[in-house]
Amino acid sequence: MKLLKPFFYLYLFLLTSCNSSQQEDGKLVIGVSMLSMQNEFIVNVADEMQKKANEMNVKLIIVDAERSALKQMEQVESFIAQGVDAIILNPCEVEASSPAVSRALAAKIPIINVNSETSVQPSAFVGSNDEESARIAMTYIVDKLKDGGNIVVIHGFMGQAAQIQRDKGAKEILKANPKIKLLAEQTGEWDRSKGMDLMQNWIQSYGGKIDAVFAHNDEMGLGAAKALENAGLKDNVLVVSIDAIQDALQAVKKGTLDATVFQNAKEQGAAAVVAAIKLAKGEKVKKQVLIPFQLVTTTNIDQF
Amino acid sequence: MQFIKNLKEYGIFLSFIVTCVVLSIATPQFLSVANWTIIVTQVSINALLAFGVTFVIITGGIDLSVGSIVAVTGVVAASLAQNGDYPVSLAITGGLIVGLAFGLLNGFLVTQSKIAPFIVTLGTMTIGRGLALILSNGRPVSNLSKSFNFIGNGKVLGFPVPIIILIFVFIVSSIALKKTVFGRYVYAIGGNEQAAWASGINVTKIKLATYAICGALSGLAGILLTARISTGQPNSGMGFELDAIAAVVIGGTSTTGGRGTMIGTLIGVLLIGVINNGLDLMNVTSYYQQVIMGAIIIGAVLLDSWNQKSRN
Repeated sequence: MKLLKPFFYLYLFLLTSCNSSQQEDGKLVIGVSMLSMQNEFIVNVADEMQKKANEMNVKLIIVDAERSALKQMEQVESFIAQGVDAIILNPCEVEASSPAVSRALAAKIPIINVNSETSVQPSAFVGSNDEESARIAMTYIVDKLKDGGNIVVIHGFMGQAAQIQRDKGAKEILKANPKIKLLAEQTGEWDRSKGMDLMQNWIQSYGGKIDAVFAHNDEMGLGAAKALENAGLKDNVLVVSIDAIQDALQAVKKGTLDATVFQNAKEQGAAAVVAAIKLAKGEKVKKQVLIPFQLVTTTNIDQF
Repeated sequence: MQFIKNLKEYGIFLSFIVTCVVLSIATPQFLSVANWTIIVTQVSINALLAFGVTFVIITGGIDLSVGSIVAVTGVVAASLAQNGDYPVSLAITGGLIVGLAFGLLNGFLVTQSKIAPFIVTLGTMTIGRGLALILSNGRPVSNLSKSFNFIGNGKVLGFPVPIIILIFVFIVSSIALKKTVFGRYVYAIGGNEQAAWASGINVTKIKLATYAICGALSGLAGILLTARISTGQPNSGMGFELDAIAAVVIGGTSTTGGRGTMIGTLIGVLLIGVINNGLDLMNVTSYYQQVIMGAIIIGAVLLDSWNQKSRN
């Protein structure tokens, strides 16, 4: 124990010295609560917000809700207590994050939802329609498999808004194209190694019968592509996923991934900050700012 | 059948066989060599973690930080293996050193302070996760060299590299636990720490060593995972500590220390892997998968405890 004592004091010292006070200099202050800063796409959105904020000379306080709706609500409450001029919320959950929105509205602070929705209407919504992304991905598969074929679907974390909506969009297209048969569907929990494991197991049970894979995000799509590659089957199977993260773009370039759907982090982040500033100044903005998706394949990869 | 006799986890072995029989009746593909190669490759990461955790749990400790160590070592190894900037050996050594350092930190804090291992490793678990995010800026580290990815996806003489690593680590850990003085001390400390200390065993050193081994094996697991998915992910390894602990406990290691074997842990790891694989092959919905998995874990341990009682 004696050995540890100096470390303990050093630790206390470091803790207290971190706590530097923040200064107000008349800038607009916007509180931002993000779903999870462990997700590449969300980190990109946050970075773009910061860039836009620097450009427009406003101050952002970005906090990470670590996927907890409860934590997110507490963060919004503390933003309200600090008296920020506007709040940008990247909701953790459709229902559970709704009270946070209600609270901000009750405190007369404009709140903007970015990327995903809550059941309570915020002052404005900036994002893309997740169902649309799945429709784009599935339409690509349907077009490629003109004579019909078998498809497997790797879901995101079951019950999350993105998983539910991407599933809804995909099922719509499947229903309209009875020649495409759904062989199996299962969750890969947004995770690359889980997507890979799942695909390996499916290769065992279905083997050459699989013609295409649709994964709810790129991480799982890349995992599935890796499994197919290892099994020597990649050339016969289409793999399509959503998000267009850096790794996925490179994979499209190399041909290991057939297509991904680009969700525009840059425009989402920038548009959210612009809307927040307008609302904070009392100006009007559109209730819904929808940023369109784009299909990325080898033909247009150079634009990304 | 000395092998079976040695197996204190007789009940678990039985559960494992029963599960395999049921699954092979349910799905024809289950028993194929190709499928088993996949199962063993898939469980190799959890196996390395579980072997390390077995040492720690037998001394009466616990290590919750293994999942985070996987993430940190993965990010470090990936950074070193990026674009083939450095030789593969450096990426591997770098990863292992980071894992070992975390293990030593755990061991140091557990032995030098009187803080419970549960709390210490809960702390280092959070520190590790944070470090992984800091080192990678929250983004996956990719573009790894081909020779590095070989560790996760390559084959030597027809055997996937992860399986070779798994077998090697299993043999070394089994010998260390069963046939060496170190192993006997590990059991002695878990059985009765006071008595072990009184009989002249350097308890501090042995405990420190178990955490260090666990850290280094977690580092190895991190390297393997990174090579398998060809990227260092700062958010990888989440919840891995629970899978590893589940495998160890299913394998018959007592959570209060003093009892347990490596073969038991290996069977625990395989049981979890076989169930996951079998349910995927049968295309069972993921909601049901979780319920079935939980029920099987409890059932397997119950069977083991009945077996223990009937022998006593």
